[in-house]
Amino acid sequence: MQYVIVGIGGQGILFTSRILGKIAVERGEQVMGSEVHGMAQRGGSVISHFKVGNYRSPLVMAGDADILLAFDQNEGIRNLHFLKKNGSMVVNVHSEDDMKNSSLTAFLKDRSIRVYSLAGYELLKKHMGGNFLFLNVLLMGAMCGANISGLTFEEVSRAVKELSPSKFEDANMKVFRLGYDSISSGQ
Amino acid sequence: MTEVLCTVSTKAILLGNEAIARGIVEAGCLVACAYPGTPSSEILPAVAKFADEMGSPMAVEWGVNEKVAFEMAAAASFTGSRSCAVMKQVGLNVAADPFMSSALYDLKGGFLLVVADDPGPHSSQTEQDSRHFAMFAKIPCFDPSSASEAKEMVFDAFDLSERFHVTAMLRPSVRVDHCRQDVELGEILPFKGEVKFEKDPSRWVCLPAKVRVNHPKLNAKLEEIRAAFETEFRKYNYEVPAKKESVLGIVASGVSFSIVSDILKSLGREDVAVLKIGTPHPLPVKMVTDFIEKHPRVLFLEETYPVMEMQIPDRTKIMGRWNGVVPGAGELLPEVVAGILADILGIESPSGADSMLKDTLEELGITPRKPMLCPGCPHRASFFSIRQALPNAVNPSDIGCYSLGVNQKAVDAIIDMGGSVTMGSGLTLAHKVAGIDRPVVSTIGDSTFFHMGIPGLVSAVYNRHPFVLAILDNSTTAMTGGQANPGVGEKLRKGDEGRKVDIEGVCRGCGVSHVRTVAAYDVAAGKEAIKEAWESAKEKKEPAVVIFRHPCMLLRLQQPVIPVRVDPEKCIGCKFCINFFNCPGLVFNEESGKAYIDERFCVSCGVCLSVCPHGAIVEVSEEGE
Repeated sequence: MQYVIVGIGGQGILFTSRILGKIAVERGEQVMGSEVHGMAQRGGSVISHFKVGNYRSPLVMAGDADILLAFDQNEGIRNLHFLKKNGSMVVNVHSEDDMKNSSLTAFLKDRSIRVYSLAGYELLKKHMGGNFLFLNVLLMGAMCGANISGLTFEEVSRAVKELSPSKFEDANMKVFRLGYDSISSGQ
Repeated sequence: MTEVLCTVSTKAILLGNEAIARGIVEAGCLVACAYPGTPSSEILPAVAKFADEMGSPMAVEWGVNEKVAFEMAAAASFTGSRSCAVMKQVGLNVAADPFMSSALYDLKGGFLLVVADDPGPHSSQTEQDSRHFAMFAKIPCFDPSSASEAKEMVFDAFDLSERFHVTAMLRPSVRVDHCRQDVELGEILPFKGEVKFEKDPSRWVCLPAKVRVNHPKLNAKLEEIRAAFETEFRKYNYEVPAKKESVLGIVASGVSFSIVSDILKSLGREDVAVLKIGTPHPLPVKMVTDFIEKHPRVLFLEETYPVMEMQIPDRTKIMGRWNGVVPGAGELLPEVVAGILADILGIESPSGADSMLKDTLEELGITPRKPMLCPGCPHRASFFSIRQALPNAVNPSDIGCYSLGVNQKAVDAIIDMGGSVTMGSGLTLAHKVAGIDRPVVSTIGDSTFFHMGIPGLVSAVYNRHPFVLAILDNSTTAMTGGQANPGVGEKLRKGDEGRKVDIEGVCRGCGVSHVRTVAAYDVAAGKEAIKEAWESAKEKKEPAVVIFRHPCMLLRLQQPVIPVRVDPEKCIGCKFCINFFNCPGLVFNEESGKAYIDERFCVSCGVCLSVCPHGAIVEVSEEGE
């Protein structure tokens, strides 16, 4: 399983690969991933690679990813070339209109890419007092709700819970459920 | 530092840098020193964390720069202790002096030098290959292809250093430093030696006469190490043979080996053999030339310079950098390697950018986001004040977050760590000779000032150079992830107490008479302080210092929350705020022709209230909104 996780520096992307890593190791699987630290973290485009299985290289090659997890719609679209045919994108959408762009829909259709979108900022404004730092757990919930990663609600929520700092544990559980329901109920 | 461990029996998922750190502690290292720099920064904090957890007695300390860190660690090895110095590739430029001379010594305790390279580069001013530096100094170098291999190499590097009494380099590249992988954990090896400095001037004093003895000795050691690399290190240097008759041989080191292995596997090629090299210097030349002889054509993959390639006497059969098959700059990403392979093997090249996707990006105007200072960053306020106070000034700057001041047109030149101060001097001299009266305002961060700013400041006082040095003190080493520095006074190991060094006092001690401190968020006071400092510098014919102080946003300290909005009636769409303040939370809507607050990013620091010349940025009143 190969994941590419994209967004903007400061959105909490690194936490996502820690969750995925914890689950994989508990399953006894090998993991390999690549992260961005340093200057690029300062508000610029960031990309994390994460591979579960028998790999040597930490990088996902363009056209090989199973899942693209996009914390930002524009970064998601910009990195769609990483997805393989029949791959899936889970994306935090801020402009529904842009998602209807005809070149984009043609590309998605041509590659048979499934898109699971959620309006993350709206959801967090409505339910979490606008604390956008919960975006990472929200997207993990959505990915789990989309049932594309082969990971169950129980194992992902347990990993989120165990890796959460204690003061954010309850809130993270709530956000995880929010993300899960926003996708699974829409299908 | 973040909690990274999720342990299952003896395995844990570690960042490459944490795996290296774990190796350093397990190998019984007693003194570890570093200066932070991406991609090496996470190593030393992880050393301290593991040392605390595992009860190691070792000393773990930040040096004020890489030269300091290197010399502390090297001297510790004179006593028989295992020691290590950690830095990024350009850090070794700073430490080049002790690196080159200690390379000639008959060291006593194992001395490991970890230098992290940054092909790409992602967070550096060069993409130099530190393996070349190992060759220059004539010391052995290990080039890991993964986090787990990097950890294992730490032990072998210490052993090799003790066996041949030389500095041993471990050169992880950014993809190894920042990869995350499951790694085996072990316990601390018992230290068998004795820590004792034995007086022996012929060993520890680098007089020319001694060099004439040591240099030939080092040459001999290098050949012995090469012989060891030919035969003993098969776990790092081995062939992955082709299953069918080979059409191509590939010699690969570092992460390039990992990348090409995954590509060959996914292509299902059984007619390509790979020779993995984990010890690129001194190269096991016989092993490599034997491999070259067996294959019709041979491709060399290594980052970033042709270090292995250059050690081969006859390159006729080699496809690499010397004949342009492998690009001479940039990172060897999977897509690049796949493209090289496709050309050589005559197969279809991996699909480039899809035209429909290209059209999408163009139609929606999506481009990569450039790095920006964080919302609420005190540097943004300081740069705004500096730029507005003296718009005609030349503004040299330095290495750190504040290099992003270039987005606010408040940074005109950067060379290296500490260069802002000395460029201030150089520009002032050129202006003086040419009779130009133009202000120079340099900017430098607190950690960088301690790193290499002080010698330049002393020189400027001594030579009477009138310019303004603005020290942007955010009480941390921010760009690399928030490490402590002398201005903070905290240390790495639990229970270790440091002492805070006062920046104002240092400046005064260097002989600067005009030293003022302002709150970075106070734009009016900042502007006034810069103007006043420039007048003082001209009058006294000496540098003047203004310290802008406010903690880094990454420290997440409590501060007043001042929600703001843009009044569309007052905004005339001049983009002054975009061009000179440049905040992720303050953006321009091309359709309406007005600026607006992007609440996804705004942290309500309130600084932009003093930015708009038309008063269009206003505080959100409690009742009205």
